[in-house]
Amino acid sequence: METTHRLEWTLLATPLMAFLLVCLGFPAIVNLIYSVSDISFETLRSPEISGLGNFAAVLTDSGFWRANWFSLRFGLLTAILECLIGLGLAVFLAPLFKDRSWPIAILMLPLMVAPALMGLMYRLVLHEFAGPVPHYLWAWFGNSPAFLGPNSAFWTLIVVETLQWTPFAFLLFHMAYQAIPEELREAASIDGATGFARFWRIELPLMLPTLAAALLIRFIDGFRVFDNVYVLTGSGAGGSTTSLSIYIYEAFFKQAAIGKAVAASVILFAVSFAVLYGLNRLARRRRR
Amino acid sequence: MKPVARFAAALLGSVFAAGLYAGAANAEVTVLGWPGGPEETALRAAADAYNAKDDVSEENKVELLFFNRDGFWDKLQADLAAGSDAFDLNLLATYSIGRYAPFMEPVELSDEAQALYGDAVLSTMQFDGKQYGVPTDLSLHFMYYRKDLIDALMSDDDAKARYADISKEHLGTAMEPKNPDDWTWDDYAATALYFTKAVNPDSPTRYGTVLQMKNLLFNIMVWQSTARSYGGDWMDADGKITVDSEAFRKGLELYKKLYDAGATPRDSLSYEFAEANAAYAAGQVAAMVQWNAAAADLTNAEKSPAVGEVTATIAPPAGPEARATHIHGLGLGLNKSAENKEGAKAFLKWLSTEEAALIYARAGGAPALSADAVSAVAEERPDLVQLGEYAGAYGYVMNGGASANALAIYELQAKEFTGYWSGQQDLDTALANVEKGMADLLK
Repeated sequence: METTHRLEWTLLATPLMAFLLVCLGFPAIVNLIYSVSDISFETLRSPEISGLGNFAAVLTDSGFWRANWFSLRFGLLTAILECLIGLGLAVFLAPLFKDRSWPIAILMLPLMVAPALMGLMYRLVLHEFAGPVPHYLWAWFGNSPAFLGPNSAFWTLIVVETLQWTPFAFLLFHMAYQAIPEELREAASIDGATGFARFWRIELPLMLPTLAAALLIRFIDGFRVFDNVYVLTGSGAGGSTTSLSIYIYEAFFKQAAIGKAVAASVILFAVSFAVLYGLNRLARRRRR
Repeated sequence: MKPVARFAAALLGSVFAAGLYAGAANAEVTVLGWPGGPEETALRAAADAYNAKDDVSEENKVELLFFNRDGFWDKLQADLAAGSDAFDLNLLATYSIGRYAPFMEPVELSDEAQALYGDAVLSTMQFDGKQYGVPTDLSLHFMYYRKDLIDALMSDDDAKARYADISKEHLGTAMEPKNPDDWTWDDYAATALYFTKAVNPDSPTRYGTVLQMKNLLFNIMVWQSTARSYGGDWMDADGKITVDSEAFRKGLELYKKLYDAGATPRDSLSYEFAEANAAYAAGQVAAMVQWNAAAADLTNAEKSPAVGEVTATIAPPAGPEARATHIHGLGLGLNKSAENKEGAKAFLKWLSTEEAALIYARAGGAPALSADAVSAVAEERPDLVQLGEYAGAYGYVMNGGASANALAIYELQAKEFTGYWSGQQDLDTALANVEKGMADLLK
């Protein structure tokens, strides 16, 4: 019986393992080789192993740390803002969504826009002479801020990202909120709990796993941001809006520093793996 | 089309630039062209003319491939490096020849090419002394300015006095307004300041100029004529990097001064071609340096109703050492991994004839033709006369501007110089970083 199970498992898992080996394993191995090689576009097929110089070049590059700092701030801030607003919408607008689904469809619309197009759209919307926002600010107040100026570009990017991805967080919270048994709320009300106390002591604790998952997903998405930032501001004046993804892209294609770019991506992979592994262990320990 | 709609179309066009396939279904010479602009239209016309020739066999007919303009050079780099044979001929630009040359083969042009283009234009497609492509289009810069505003300034004594006051206050010298064709960079700066509301509340325009200062290599090409006109170059004849020079300082400080004075939109550090054109076309800018490709729109009253009838173009202002405009060519060259090399070579040879160049020019392309050759299309394309004249008189390529790492050098300068313009670092640091980076890139 056990032998049959093992055979079945092997048969069923083999295609998956083969797929993973080909699609993930091969590029991973090539990346590892490139990251310790002296490599250029001319020598893609014949890399020369050169040691850990590429890693040293990345770790001593102030641009790499600046990009990390940008991605970390961007990921954290957008994740927090999206989750706070999404949670607020899900809870306070819950009565509105109880019998109607069309408002949810409207709220979901930003998710349908590709991030690169979102960047293009805001290049138009925020342009001083072509965009509606500066147009009305000039018309009403005789002035308009530089939305994409060196001091405000970061915050404009935060707002654009938050506007696009808050609906995703909202959707998670809406489903979690709807899943809370109505009897719990009724019981709390009978016991005299106020609306806020009900939310704070019953609903929020029950939604905490969803909140943690939403924060993690949105942080990962924000940390690896590329398309809308790249389209809207590029890497920014003096490299001020260079995310880690943009750093790797520019090192690879713009500077043709392939080894350095791959070394940076290997470091990113290793750190991400360590963080996710740690979080997973933490979650398992809490479950026990 | 209204300026806003055109700006939107330009933005979208840069992403969704092209259809994929055109031409005969059974064609054998595949050409990867520059999508979504006059270059595509012109190449289509040339390919159609070539395919219609009796002596072109079915297996040597030309098929055009176009993909997205966004990230074009990066994708091409990856394709060439991978030894792709998906195209026989591919686009080439002066600033990228050095990077692509290892994956391409030198080509032979027609006997007419020398007289048709001249040495300076042919050299935009050369690397290590070898010809790598046919120069189909030339890009350089014009100074676009509002004739109505300049004429009004020149004919009003009170305005002249105000102009002198402003130039004295901001530039240290009381200056007189001049005809734009006689401008130095100081005259341009004084005019830009005079037509800026933040400096001169009576200005008819909100800004005197619009500078495209986004961290983008093409914006450095627009800027660097300031440094060049003060005698600047990337390297001297011995290969010593000469960026940390008075000429570069002058050019960089000029932009910084205009940006800090509010003479250009405050979002200029995120501006590139489309944004600058939209600002100028809105009628709120008096003058700007911009690519010649904008001329067709900005001098057309239907496309730019606010400025089309009152916009004139001349060469960029002069400096003490020269009047200069960056030039670079776009062209087509031969992929080393091409499947149909003989057919591809035959098409390139034909493309470098006068017959092909005139078809290309009449269909909207911008070849820089010699004075004799351009006379055949001067009536239909007067801008090509100006293009050829300016390229010959003022055109330059920085020493090292066609090297293998030219693109990376432009990128480096864009990052460091925008860092200076935005106030994140001082000029000494920016220039030192560029010199250090260039030393690594030019090893």
